Amino acid sequence: MTAARPLPYGDPAHLAAHQFLVEEAALLDAADYAGWLELLCEDIRYLMPVRVTTARGAGFDSLADMGHFDEDIYALRKRVQRLATDHAWTEDPPSRTRHFVTNVRTFRDEGEDLRAESALLLFRSRGDTREADLLSAGRTDLLRATADGLRLARREITVDESVLRTQNLAVFL
Amino acid sequence: MLDLSSIVSQVRRGLIPAHVYGDPEIFAAERDRLFARSWVFLAHESEIPDPGDYVVRRVLADSFIVARDEAGVVRVMFNMCLHRGMQVCRAEMGNASHFRCPYHAWTYRNDGRLAGLPFHQEAYGGEDGFARDSQALLSAPSMATHNGLIFISLDPGAPALRDYLGDFAFYLDFYTRQSPAGVELRGPQRWRVKANWKIGAENFAGDSYHTPHTHASVVDIGLFREPKASKRKEGALYQAGPGAGTTYKLPPGGDFADQLRYVGYPDAMIPAMAQTWSERQRALIADSGFMVSAATLFPNLSFVHNWPQIDAAGTVVPFISLRQWQPVSERETEVLSWFAVDAAAPGDFKRKSYKAYLMCFGTSGMFEQDDVENWVSITDMAAGSMARRLNLNSRMGLTSEDKPVKPPLASFAGPGLAYQGFGEYGQRHWLSQWSDHLEREAR
Repeated sequence: MTAARPLPYGDPAHLAAHQFLVEEAALLDAADYAGWLELLCEDIRYLMPVRVTTARGAGFDSLADMGHFDEDIYALRKRVQRLATDHAWTEDPPSRTRHFVTNVRTFRDEGEDLRAESALLLFRSRGDTREADLLSAGRTDLLRATADGLRLARREITVDESVLRTQNLAVFL
Repeated sequence: MLDLSSIVSQVRRGLIPAHVYGDPEIFAAERDRLFARSWVFLAHESEIPDPGDYVVRRVLADSFIVARDEAGVVRVMFNMCLHRGMQVCRAEMGNASHFRCPYHAWTYRNDGRLAGLPFHQEAYGGEDGFARDSQALLSAPSMATHNGLIFISLDPGAPALRDYLGDFAFYLDFYTRQSPAGVELRGPQRWRVKANWKIGAENFAGDSYHTPHTHASVVDIGLFREPKASKRKEGALYQAGPGAGTTYKLPPGGDFADQLRYVGYPDAMIPAMAQTWSERQRALIADSGFMVSAATLFPNLSFVHNWPQIDAAGTVVPFISLRQWQPVSERETEVLSWFAVDAAAPGDFKRKSYKAYLMCFGTSGMFEQDDVENWVSITDMAAGSMARRLNLNSRMGLTSEDKPVKPPLASFAGPGLAYQGFGEYGQRHWLSQWSDHLEREAR
């Protein structure tokens, strides 16, 4: 998929994209979801296909028509609104999460938008008796330059498990 | 040592020894007495539409290839090579004319028959020494389909599937036969939760009582079409054959088409429903005024039908999900959750209904998120010593003299027994079948 070469790591566009992803992770770890929503474009598509185990020659390893997420801004706002109620039990008490963002590469090959690829490791700990969960994923983002700085226009999350080992996705990746 | 007869007699009174949700001995009994006999769902025919298509699914530890062979016949084969026992298929889905064991290359057609093995002449003496033609992967002991749903039983003497489904087949049509085209399934999303498999199955069988509290947040944010979750108590709870489920009370005065429009079905789909469903099925909606919602077919296949608001304009769109509670251990369950939609539905409806599903159920669903938190917590508590001293009260809807708090509905159009209002009738119906299995000797 990636024939293009990434921008040099010293390129201001790469630095801006990298900083965007790290700042975004800080908002998510702080559960500042209202702040997180402000980083999203109105026309965002936030997608996380279901990964499947297939033969090497099958030509696909994710489902084209089923995701864990396939969200527009309305759906994401509803999720955030729900977490802000007094009745979102699955996150009350809240999980302790850490979004580790690494392997960031930035490409300028999608028109005006920057394409940023990153690796994400989400650590999620709940309560005091359960083992913590890990979710490992790659992400391909389109970042759009706006008057307010970069904004997320599209995110495709390529999760590295076919069977998720976490009780739900009441978290964002 | 497990005293099953004592446990079962408590369960039959609606008093559930709490440890059954976290006890390895109970889990072994379920494996040997229940899953060794019962019809269990594996896949839907729409997941393998073309010759060679296959999916791999389990019944507990047993892996099966569900394939459509070259003649278009659905086959269910035990995924273990006849020679040394390797899995012959290690992918979970795909298309293949043959399955070749990676170990010594014994190769099977997609109907299970052994097609070839290396050095047949030199190593086995050819057909005279080892008749290849008589060899095939083990078939599922019993296999049958209904509305495209593929079930197997590990018991070769299982009753006919249609006889097993009994009166629940009436309700199954609302989820899996809205038109002659039937449903198509997408997915499943799969995830593992640290919860006992029975809890989800019981919940979907009849727990309308949890909705007002567990799902308060989806009412708060206006995702739920109904303004108050307490509306749940107006719904009817039914039990029929091996299934049980919940319904919502529809607004008064509407005819069949009005009620389907109320839950968001477009006019393009309503004539097919009117033609496909029987007069009695239509009457459940039009005359009794109930719309099916959650249900469980014993032991571990559940259904949900709900109708959230999917956009800022308040567009109400229904969705259907099938879900399986696949036991991993007494403390862990793999959930498989499919989106289901009428195969003949307009593309725009399919798109919106898929959105409705993702917002509500499955790995990220806003209803399901809070359900699983509850179930994990119950399982955690059930594993300890004190849980052996506690019988959970599952007697809602029964008086201390074992009489129903309210009589069954007299005017309910569906078969079986139905009650209006809150009560753990469906859960006790499910637990009664669980008890029947656990009381029988292991197969």
